[in-house]
Amino acid sequence: MLKLEHIYKWVKSGGRRIFLLNDLSLNVEKGEFLSIMGPSGSGKSTLLNVIAMLDEFNEGEYYFEEEAIHELKPKKQTEIFNQNIGFIFQAYHLLDDLTVYENIETPLLYKKVKSSERKALVADILDRFNIVGKKDLFPHQLSGGQQQLVGIARALIIKPKLILADEPTGNLNSKQSDEIMQLFKELNAEGVTIIQATHSESNAEYGSRIINLVDGSVKKS
Amino acid sequence: MIKNYLKTGWRNIIKNKGTFAVNITGLALGIASCIMIMLYVSDELSYDRFNEKADEIVRVVFRANVNGEEMKEAVVMAPVAQTLKNDLPEVIDATRLAKSFNNRLEYNGSYYGQSSLAYVDPNFFNVFTLPIIQGEQKTSLDKPNSVVISESLAKSIFGNTDPVGKTITVTNRDEQLNVSGVMKDMPKNSHFHFDLLVSTLGYEQAQKTTWMESDFFTYLVLKKGTAINTVETKLPAITKKCMGPQMMGAIGKSYEDFQKDNSLGLFLQPLTDIHLHSDFSDSTTLEQGGDIKYVYIFSAVALFMLIIACINFMNLATASASKRSKEVGIRKVLGSNKKQLIYQFLAEAFISTLLATFLAIALFSIALPFFNQLAGKEIEFSSLLKPVYVLSLLGLIILITFLAGSYPAFYLSSFNPLNALKSKFSGSGKNSGIRSGLVIFQFVISAGLILATLVVREQMNYIQNKDIGYEKNQLLVVRNTYLLKNNEDNFLDKIENDPRIANMTHSAFVPAGESDNEVGGIFLNGEFQRRMFFYNIDENYIPTMGMELLQGRNFSEEFGDESDKVIINEKAAEILGLGKNALGKTFQRDTNEGLRDITIIGVIKDFNFRSLHQEIEPLILKKNPYGGVIIRSKTADMSGIIKNLNEDWNNYYPKEALNYSVLDDSFNHTYLKERKMGTILTLFTILTIIVACLGLFGLVTFTAEQRFKEIGIRKVLGSSVSQIVTLLSKDFLKLVGISFLIAFPLSYYLMNKWLQDFAYRIEIQWWLFLLAAIITMGIAFLTIGIKSFKAASMNPIKSLKTE
Repeated sequence: MLKLEHIYKWVKSGGRRIFLLNDLSLNVEKGEFLSIMGPSGSGKSTLLNVIAMLDEFNEGEYYFEEEAIHELKPKKQTEIFNQNIGFIFQAYHLLDDLTVYENIETPLLYKKVKSSERKALVADILDRFNIVGKKDLFPHQLSGGQQQLVGIARALIIKPKLILADEPTGNLNSKQSDEIMQLFKELNAEGVTIIQATHSESNAEYGSRIINLVDGSVKKS
Repeated sequence: MIKNYLKTGWRNIIKNKGTFAVNITGLALGIASCIMIMLYVSDELSYDRFNEKADEIVRVVFRANVNGEEMKEAVVMAPVAQTLKNDLPEVIDATRLAKSFNNRLEYNGSYYGQSSLAYVDPNFFNVFTLPIIQGEQKTSLDKPNSVVISESLAKSIFGNTDPVGKTITVTNRDEQLNVSGVMKDMPKNSHFHFDLLVSTLGYEQAQKTTWMESDFFTYLVLKKGTAINTVETKLPAITKKCMGPQMMGAIGKSYEDFQKDNSLGLFLQPLTDIHLHSDFSDSTTLEQGGDIKYVYIFSAVALFMLIIACINFMNLATASASKRSKEVGIRKVLGSNKKQLIYQFLAEAFISTLLATFLAIALFSIALPFFNQLAGKEIEFSSLLKPVYVLSLLGLIILITFLAGSYPAFYLSSFNPLNALKSKFSGSGKNSGIRSGLVIFQFVISAGLILATLVVREQMNYIQNKDIGYEKNQLLVVRNTYLLKNNEDNFLDKIENDPRIANMTHSAFVPAGESDNEVGGIFLNGEFQRRMFFYNIDENYIPTMGMELLQGRNFSEEFGDESDKVIINEKAAEILGLGKNALGKTFQRDTNEGLRDITIIGVIKDFNFRSLHQEIEPLILKKNPYGGVIIRSKTADMSGIIKNLNEDWNNYYPKEALNYSVLDDSFNHTYLKERKMGTILTLFTILTIIVACLGLFGLVTFTAEQRFKEIGIRKVLGSSVSQIVTLLSKDFLKLVGISFLIAFPLSYYLMNKWLQDFAYRIEIQWWLFLLAAIITMGIAFLTIGIKSFKAASMNPIKSLKTE
């Protein structure tokens, strides 16, 4: 599905380079559920952002479904991202002014999906996540777990091939965590590729593969 | 999608009520001012446009420079109309109008007082579009003494009976006029208004052939598409042909000799220019017109207000960008492209603008009566519903949406999503640079307007308090005592014996307001020198008016007949080259019986007998008391005197009410245009400042919010309230300070231009700049200070807990 080869990313500080990603190579196959682990500052988030094409890297090659991302213009990158990838945040990042329903609907609006189709899609996903009764509530009226459910529903609505989740359960208690992870597992079983970054061993265990990141490179295990 | 934009926009507005209120109030004030001034300006520009031939009609005017006297007259000689029509193929039609003064009407034993009457050529209705509602349009003025009267006059004299065929008398001339038609009242936006139009057929003046006297407003209808210049270039030849032969006899010089040192000529003025572009001497003007300068000034002010309101919008939107950066980030991650975000922000701007427009229309309808009173207009609310205004308003809404919304839209939508999510936009850097620029711009306008307002007020004060060469207070003027005929002396005697009266003089020549007017040629040894103004007075005039005699003596009864003696003003002495040796010198003045010798017996200190817009002209005072009376009261309260005057007048002349004026009021009335302009300018300056300060208030609120935590930390570390107020205010006040550097030179330049309208004017002093700076800075500091003080007085624990 995607292939990273010798990726370097650094920032300059006082004339010296500080490496965020250091000669990182990674191969993710279609249908995988990859858990990325590592201490704070090891580059987990940076790696996810690079995969999502939200952040640039300084050196190396990145292929997404055979497409050479590093050779593409930002606009084209954004297009590929919008078509294929759903992003889930630790802090949920729901739009405060929109209801649950509207939050989930927003990506479809941007994709110019027709109104009737939109309704059907949103209804389906509300149903599936068991949040039909909450559809007219605003984010601040929901618990953290419920908010993250909405976040995931919103990421899934465009039927992405790849889901990137940056500490999706970081703000949740262990029960909520388990529910979310169970959901990821189901999704993965349905064929969605998932990459999650996490601190938690137990969450990582849900993945089909675990890699450890230290100082911006994959730790050989 | 649009529904979605509007929905999010609306929710955002609800969430940020404060910012929104600032935006809406500012914009509404800006739009309301814009609407108001748009209607005012288009009313000013609409003058005389109701005429179907408006674009083809021109007025013939006369300009000359004779021995240093500049003559600008809107009237020309009686034969001009016919001559131009005959000689120039471009002229299709020509018609004349002569204004008549003093028209007292009588019908069937009832008297109707003063009326506005003009003599016009029979073809007048072919040139001007003045619909006749009774009688024949074409032939109504074909007979001598026929008159067409206005609808409202017809109603007041004849009620519901048919006026056609009835006879009205102009009592003071004993002139019989036969009503041959009734016309609609002349539209408000006409440069003349008359209730009676009398045929020139029986009017002696109209038959004159002299090119040496100007009495007639003359209008030509040109062939469609004729350039005025091409006709104008043919006029000098005609002037030479017609005037040349008459010149020698009139002024003792041939046309060729005259043209060597002097210039004179006929020019054409488009009908639609008359209202706003006339600079003709007051005595030859039909009605006081507008001034294109004020149209420009007000348009600029309206535009400024709108721009300031738009800037508020832009500033507040970009300032609150950091609040919304998260939203932008999420939306981008959810697949929004830049264009869609731009639409969203424009939609928000659109909602605000739309609401502001509704609010503005409400404000407009409330303020309209006051504005009408101020500007002397009768603009109706319903005129706003005309398609052209509705369309302009829609255009305005779209324009403002883009003006106010585009910068925030493009700025916010250009955020990098990752940075946006991390809220890395603290409103600093390049963005705050632009914001500073915009704040400076707002205060350039505000400070500039404040200075302008101060200059106008200072000039008006100067006029009020200037030494004008006579005492204008406590003077009462009755200009038509001649009406009393045999009883005039009794009337005057009674006044003279009134103990409340300090002094009185028998004259109708008044230095301010309406006055009798006499201009005549002055000759030395039979050679024309130049025209000068004449005052006909008696020996009490100079003491009554409080004027100062510099040399020689006043008129006096002990010298018997003094009709060949004159007193001149300093200017006349200077123009005639007499210096200090004027006394005893002899000149000739032009009269109906030829030249007559006059000998100078005194020189009077110059006094402003015309408005302060103009330099003092040479003036000759001769003893010839007639017409009216000027009374100086001992006390400021003249109501008792007026009451007695009224009673006496009604005894002697019950036909008509006493017509008096207070000279001080007439004097002030002369500067009504400037006074109104001053008031409107003050008003809009205040509004502009309010709008600018609303924006500033919003920005400070925002900064205080942003630095909430910093303020808390500083307070814990021991900072005092005043130190924090300084911290929050100083950046803004710096911007206001910078704005002075741009505003003052600009305003100084423009106001100096405005002052050129006055021959007597103030210098713009340094302290006016200082005052303007203090006012602007004071208002700005008050705005910022309130908010910063509130932020600074907060309990620091509160602000730290929010993290």
